[in-house]
Amino acid sequence: MTGTWSLIRLVLRRDRVLLPVWIVITALLPASIASSTAGLYADQAARDAFAAASMSNPAQLAMRGVIYDAGVGGLTAWTLGSSLALIGGLVSVLLVVRHTRAEEETGRRELLSSGVVGRHAPLAAALAVVPAANLLLGLLSVPGLVATGLPAGSSLLFGLSVAGGGCAFAAVAAVTAQLTASSGTARGLAIGVGGLMFALRAVADSGGVAWPAWLSPFGWARLTRAYAGDQWWVLGLFVVFVAVLAAGAFALSVRRDVAGGLLPTRQGPAEGTLRGAFGLAGRLHRGSLAGFAIGFGLLGALVGLSARGLDTQLDTPQFRDLAAVIGGSGARVSDVFFTFVMYVLSQLVTGAALVSALRARGEEAAGRADLLLSAPVGRLRWALSHLAFAVAGPALLLAVLGAAAGLAYDGGVLRVAGATLAYLPAVWTVVGIATLAFGVLPRLAAAISWTALGVFLVVDLLAEFRLVSGVVLDMSPFVHVPALLLDGAASPVAPLAALTAVAGALAVAGLALVRRRDLTPA
Amino acid sequence: MNAAVHAEGLVKTFGRARALDGLDLTVDKGEVHGFLGPNGAGKTTTIRILLGQMRADGGRITLLGGDPWRDATELHRRLAYVPGDVTLWPSLTGGEVIDLLGRVRGGLDPKRRADLLERFELDPRKKCRAYSKGNRQKVALVAAFASDVELLLLDEPTSGLDPLMEAVFNECVVREKQRGRTVLLSSHILSEVETLCDRVSIIRAGRTVESGTLADLRHLTRTSVTAELAGPANGLAGLPGVHDLTVDGARLRCQVDQDALTAVLGELARAGVRALTTRPPTLEELFLRHYQGAAS
Repeated sequence: MTGTWSLIRLVLRRDRVLLPVWIVITALLPASIASSTAGLYADQAARDAFAAASMSNPAQLAMRGVIYDAGVGGLTAWTLGSSLALIGGLVSVLLVVRHTRAEEETGRRELLSSGVVGRHAPLAAALAVVPAANLLLGLLSVPGLVATGLPAGSSLLFGLSVAGGGCAFAAVAAVTAQLTASSGTARGLAIGVGGLMFALRAVADSGGVAWPAWLSPFGWARLTRAYAGDQWWVLGLFVVFVAVLAAGAFALSVRRDVAGGLLPTRQGPAEGTLRGAFGLAGRLHRGSLAGFAIGFGLLGALVGLSARGLDTQLDTPQFRDLAAVIGGSGARVSDVFFTFVMYVLSQLVTGAALVSALRARGEEAAGRADLLLSAPVGRLRWALSHLAFAVAGPALLLAVLGAAAGLAYDGGVLRVAGATLAYLPAVWTVVGIATLAFGVLPRLAAAISWTALGVFLVVDLLAEFRLVSGVVLDMSPFVHVPALLLDGAASPVAPLAALTAVAGALAVAGLALVRRRDLTPA
Repeated sequence: MNAAVHAEGLVKTFGRARALDGLDLTVDKGEVHGFLGPNGAGKTTTIRILLGQMRADGGRITLLGGDPWRDATELHRRLAYVPGDVTLWPSLTGGEVIDLLGRVRGGLDPKRRADLLERFELDPRKKCRAYSKGNRQKVALVAAFASDVELLLLDEPTSGLDPLMEAVFNECVVREKQRGRTVLLSSHILSEVETLCDRVSIIRAGRTVESGTLADLRHLTRTSVTAELAGPANGLAGLPGVHDLTVDGARLRCQVDQDALTAVLGELARAGVRALTTRPPTLEELFLRHYQGAAS
């Protein structure tokens, strides 16, 4: 453990912007949702009606879980509990892998390990900083909640529940970082575990059996029942989970070499068949694209299955009212459901598309582009070879998602797939932003692109609570996508064509600038 | 136009830092040209400009008769590049990378590829993430030497190789030269440049401080003289052009400027010479003088 303190300072130095931004934004969110909930649903009757409507919506149940209490605190905890644990978990996975396996993969760890740095120090430093950051954001959210008039004890429990979710996935990532020599695989494994855990909770909350939720940190984040009976002991599950996995990670780390993994590295072909930039790009993108396609296919099937029989089951007055508000009178319940779910899932697809769109920058930053571009491969051809996957990839993913949902729903494959594909121009717009950033400010391209997506997500979330409107809401390309399943009368061509044109203009400008600038290493 | 590379007054700035500050470089066709300088002198920046990966802020540059920025793709058909710090795609094998680079450059000679793999003792079936720095460098070297190009741009290509592999590298460069190819070899390993290069350019802080054949450059520097004398050579200390004189009993050492050699030999002969060694300056000494001179 020698040298852990120095490494902690190194981690804090490298993330001196990212950590505060993430902590402050996440810590401010609960208070703003609580105050807007109090504003929107002024009396208990209104809150009860909202809760009843939400509880009859399987999509809400799957995404956010069960409402334990229809008070302001209970609704706030329900709105944010699961999603803040999800965001915290994702950020924690990325941070832990960035400071452990990625350091080894790039060889920087070797340099540090040759100094007076103990074998366990890098892992210990990552597992000190990331959970501490989660706890800090949990604690920082408490004063705001108390200021809106919520009880301090329950607010503290809520903050700690959110922090627990992040800490749990920091520990998961600490284990997966020991398993493979590739940081990409370590991230993928940890996020895969996270997806499984989220699915366990979603299944438990939308179906008859409740016990799977007890197997998942996302379940625990809700089962602490903040503002609804405060079960403090559930926090103990987080502590045990983190302690066991962290101990496991330290035990695994002494069984392997620096930069080695526990899963063996296999040999490959001695001769290659890759033909040029596009062949290489295909090889680099195919693994993650196939993984995403399988994931979105499963997700689509899950969505389709949950939508089965909705039209008869949910023929309640509340839901008919909700359906009428969202989709106009006479809208089918399942169509409202698909519309709502696809809106959210299209933003996940955008995340996958950004991974592809930013790969060219990754190649440039790592210096791998130097070698390829020293051969007769033009800058434009190289950039296009990666952009092609950011353009075609989301089309494939949205088609798979929609088709799987339609198939599992047992009918209307083309209708559902078509309505899902309508989000493609919105996804492309974010890809266009990433391409422009890649052309203008290559070093900040990843930060700008992910921030843009994050802003759109927050805008959409706030719009749900009517906290933003007008120009601010118009910023998000997702808002402009017509709900094909609902308002079939209005022509969808104009907004889709406009979004496509914006995306195209952004991409063309980005590509033109990529050709004009110097290659910029990290 | 007989120059493969011709640069005049090249300037490149990064923010306030001036990486290149009026650099001149001429590499004739068919020669092996050493490009020497300490770390941070601007060698890699120059090579990146030659590759069209960066645009110079000032000065003129031609590469194989074209503009390295505007005609980059066309020119790249005729050159191969080995970076000093080779990073490869971790999921591809070395063999796949060699064939990929070969194909985009218009094909590899399979016999030469096999021969080079054997000489460099490189296992092409390993994934690139499993290669050491030296092995990654070998992948880039095999790809470059097996391709059919006019110009090789090698940026500190042996920094990760062991001495045996350095010898293999030297043989390969000699063979390329015999084939009539032009090689620009950037290095701070002087013995390598000394054995391989026809001409060298020495740069420092973004400027060319010296350029010419090794013989030309030795002109500028001093000869080491070690002598055992029969009697004292008292006249030597006062002679202009004699430096670092040390006398240890009958043994004497000094550094002598070229135009003072005759006078020094006269003084030594007067004292009576029992043994005499003179040595031309190594490139190390040449190098040190340039840097020390410029630093002070």
